[in-house]
Amino acid sequence: MTASATETAAGTGAAPARGSRSRGIRIFKWTLLTPLFSLFFFLMPVFLLQLYFSLHSWTIYLSSWWDADYAGFDLFREVLTESRFYWAFARSFLFAGLSTVGCFIIGFGLALLMYRPFRGHSVFYVLFILPMLTVPIVISYTADMLLFRSGPINDIMSFLAGTEIRFTWLANPNFAIFTIIMLEIWNWTPFAFIIMLAGLSSLPAEPVEAARILGASRLRIFWEIQIPLLRPVIFLALILRFLEAMAEFPKTWGLLQGGPGTSTETIPVYLYIVTWRAFNVSKGAAASYLVMLLMIVIILSAIYVLRREKKALDALYEKPAGGGEA
Amino acid sequence: MKKARLSRRSFLKGAMATAVTGPWVLRFRGVAEAGPLEDRIIAAAKKAGPADLNGMIWSLYYRNMKRLSDEFKEKAGVGVKDIQDLSIFVIPQRAMAEAVSRSPKIDFFHIDSNMIPSLASAGLIEPLDGYMAEVGYKLEMLANFPSFMKYKGKTYGIPTDGNVHIQYVRKDLAENPEEQKKFSDKYGKPLAFPKTWEDSLQIAEHFHRPDKNLLGYAGLRNRANGVTWWYMNFYSAGGFPFNDDLEPTINTPAGEYAMDIYLRHKKVSHPEAPNWGTPQMIPQFTQGNAATGQYWDGTARQIESDPKSKVKGKFLYGIVPGSTFSGKLVHRSISSPLAAVLVNRYSPRKRQAALMTLYWGTLSNSIEIVTHPTWVFHDPWHAGHMTHPKVIERYSAPAMDAIAKSMQITTPPIYLTGHIEFQDVLGKHIAEAYIGQITAKQALTQTEAAWRKLIAQIGKARLKEDLVSYKAAMPTVDLPS
Repeated sequence: MTASATETAAGTGAAPARGSRSRGIRIFKWTLLTPLFSLFFFLMPVFLLQLYFSLHSWTIYLSSWWDADYAGFDLFREVLTESRFYWAFARSFLFAGLSTVGCFIIGFGLALLMYRPFRGHSVFYVLFILPMLTVPIVISYTADMLLFRSGPINDIMSFLAGTEIRFTWLANPNFAIFTIIMLEIWNWTPFAFIIMLAGLSSLPAEPVEAARILGASRLRIFWEIQIPLLRPVIFLALILRFLEAMAEFPKTWGLLQGGPGTSTETIPVYLYIVTWRAFNVSKGAAASYLVMLLMIVIILSAIYVLRREKKALDALYEKPAGGGEA
Repeated sequence: MKKARLSRRSFLKGAMATAVTGPWVLRFRGVAEAGPLEDRIIAAAKKAGPADLNGMIWSLYYRNMKRLSDEFKEKAGVGVKDIQDLSIFVIPQRAMAEAVSRSPKIDFFHIDSNMIPSLASAGLIEPLDGYMAEVGYKLEMLANFPSFMKYKGKTYGIPTDGNVHIQYVRKDLAENPEEQKKFSDKYGKPLAFPKTWEDSLQIAEHFHRPDKNLLGYAGLRNRANGVTWWYMNFYSAGGFPFNDDLEPTINTPAGEYAMDIYLRHKKVSHPEAPNWGTPQMIPQFTQGNAATGQYWDGTARQIESDPKSKVKGKFLYGIVPGSTFSGKLVHRSISSPLAAVLVNRYSPRKRQAALMTLYWGTLSNSIEIVTHPTWVFHDPWHAGHMTHPKVIERYSAPAMDAIAKSMQITTPPIYLTGHIEFQDVLGKHIAEAYIGQITAKQALTQTEAAWRKLIAQIGKARLKEDLVSYKAAMPTVDLPS
C-alpha cells in the first residue's frame, strides 16, 4: 500500500468520525436550546402583553384591551413619582433582609447541631423541616388566632415572665411587619437548614482533621476552615432566600392585608392592590416591570457574587497542591 | 215548546260580565298567574331545559341555599352542580377576572351588590327584568332598597342578605339606676338611647372599662371594613362624595366632621381594632364585652338565638345615631356588603341561572334561607321578612323593628363604576389616619386627589351617568317613621 493510499484510507475513516461528532454536538446543542427557545416563546406573549398594558392606559371598563389609548411612559412616571411605591420597596427590603438573616442564623445553627448523625437524629430532622411544609396561608390564619392580645402566645409569655404581657403583635403599626418577619423566619428556617446541612455534610474531612491534629480549637476550625469552605453555600442560601422573601405575599395578605394602615404594604401587596383591588391593570403592569428590572439587577449581582465565591473556593483548593509542589 | 235562543245582546252581556269578573274569580282561585310564584318559576325553568349550574359563592352562604337548589333541580331540572367557594370579600376580584376573560364558565356570582355598576360596565352581568316579568316576580323591599339592585334602570341582582347596620346598646347597663345616675351627673343629661354620634360617644366613654373587659364601643376599624362605618358619619352630616359635575366633595366640612367622629371612637375601642374583623368583633357582642356599637343586623340574631350567647335579651336595638351637623337631624345607616346573586351574561345557561336566582328570592324560600337554624350571614331583606313570625323569633321583635326602620334610612357605599377602587383608596387613607400615619386632613386631601385620578381613568361621562343610580339608592327620609 502506498503512502497516499494510507492517507486516503485514514482520511476516509476520520471524515465520518468527524461528521458524526459534529452531528452529535449539533443534536446536543439543539437538545439544550429547544426547551430554552420553547420557554422563551411561551413566556414572550406574557411579557409582551404586560409591556403593551404598561404603555397603554387600559381600564377593565373598556370593553376591549386593544382599544386602550397609548400612554407612553406616563404610567412608569406615575409609579416612579409615587412615594407609596418606594415605601413598599423599603418594607420589602426590610422584610426580606431581616427574615433572610434570621432564617440563615437559626437554620445554620440547627445544621451545626445536626450534621454529625446521632441516635434519633432523623426525628429531629423531620421536626425541623415541618414548618417549611406548612402552607403559608395556613400559617397566617393560625398566627391570627395565636397572636391576638389576650391570645395564647401572650398568655405563655405572661406565664414565663411571671407578669401579665398583653403585647399587640398585629395591631401595632410599628411592630406588625416584625411579626410577619418572625412568621417568615419560622416558616423558612428549614430551607436554610437543609442547604447548610448539605453544605456541611459535603465539606472535605481532611482539612478539619489536619487542623485538629495540629491542635486547632473547634472555634478556630469553624471560623478559619469550615466557614471559608462554606462561603458559596452560604451565599447561595442567602440569595435564594432573599429573592423568595421579596415575593412573599400569602402571610402578609392573609394576616394583615397590608395594614394596619399601610404598615405592611410590601411590593407584592402593593402590586396586588393596584392591579386587583384598584383594577388599574396598566399601572400594575408598569410597576411590575419596574420591580422585574430591579430584581434582574439583584439576580445579576447575586450571580456575580456566587461566581466570585466559586473562583475563590477553586483557588483555595488549588493553593495547597501548588504549595506542595513548590 | 219554545226554542231557547241566545240573543246577540245576551251573548255580549255575558261576555262582558265574564271579562270583568273572570280574572277576579281566577285570581282568587290562584289560577290567573298559573299558580304560586314558585310554580311559575319552575314551569319557566322546565321550559328552559335542564342545566347544571356553576356558581361563585362562599360555602358559608351557600349552605343555607343548597336545599332549595336541590329542590329546584328535582322539580325543574335546574340545579347547582359546582361552586367556587370564595369569601364574599374576594369574589369582586374574581368576578372582574371573569369579566376580563368574558368567560362563560361561571353562571352566577353571589357578591356584594355594590359591585353592580362596575360589573355591568365591564359587561359581565345580565339584567333580570325580563325573567322577572316572565314569571311575575317583584322585588319587594322596603323604601328604596330595591334601588340597590338597579343600575341605569335595570335590575341586576336578587338579594340574599340585607346586611343593614343597627345600633346596639346594652340594656342591662343602660337601664341600671346607678349607671344612669353616674352618667347624668357627669354629662348633665339622662342616659338614653343615642340620637346623635355625640350621644353615642358619651355613652361609649361612660361604659369603657378595659380593666373589666368591657369595651365602650365595638365597631370595625381595620383597613378593609372601617370605611363602612365612616360612610354613616359622612352621609348623616349631609355629605355626599361627589357633586353633579363629578368633583369629589369629600374634603369638605362634612368630610372633616366624619373623620373627627370616626377617629374619636379610638379612645373607646379595643387597642387591636385596627386589625380586627368580624371574627374578632362579633364575639365581643355575644360574650358581653361590648357596651355599645353599630354593627350588621346579623349580630342581633347571634345575640338572641345563639346558644353560646351570654347576653340574650340584654340589648336594646334601634337605628344608628344621626347628626345635626347639616342643621337638621339626619340618620344614615349602611348596607355593605349587601349580598346578592348576579347572573353571568356570557353564560349559555344564563336563563336557567336567572330562574334559579328568582327561586331563591321568593318570600317563602328566602324565609327558609334567612331563618335557617344555622346562621351564616343571611339577614332579612324582603319586606315580608319584617313581619314574619319565624324571622322575628330568630332576631327578636325589637331587633326586627330596628332593622325595618334602618332600611328606610340605609345607604350604599360609593355606588358607581369603580366602587371598589374608590372605596379602597378611601379605606386606606382612613386606616392610615386611624393609626396616626397621616392626619385626618391629609386623609381627605389625599383621597380627593386619588379620586380625581380615578375619575379621569374610568371616565367622567360614564360616571356622571352612574350618578343617577347612586342618588336613586340614597334614602329620602332623614328619620324613619
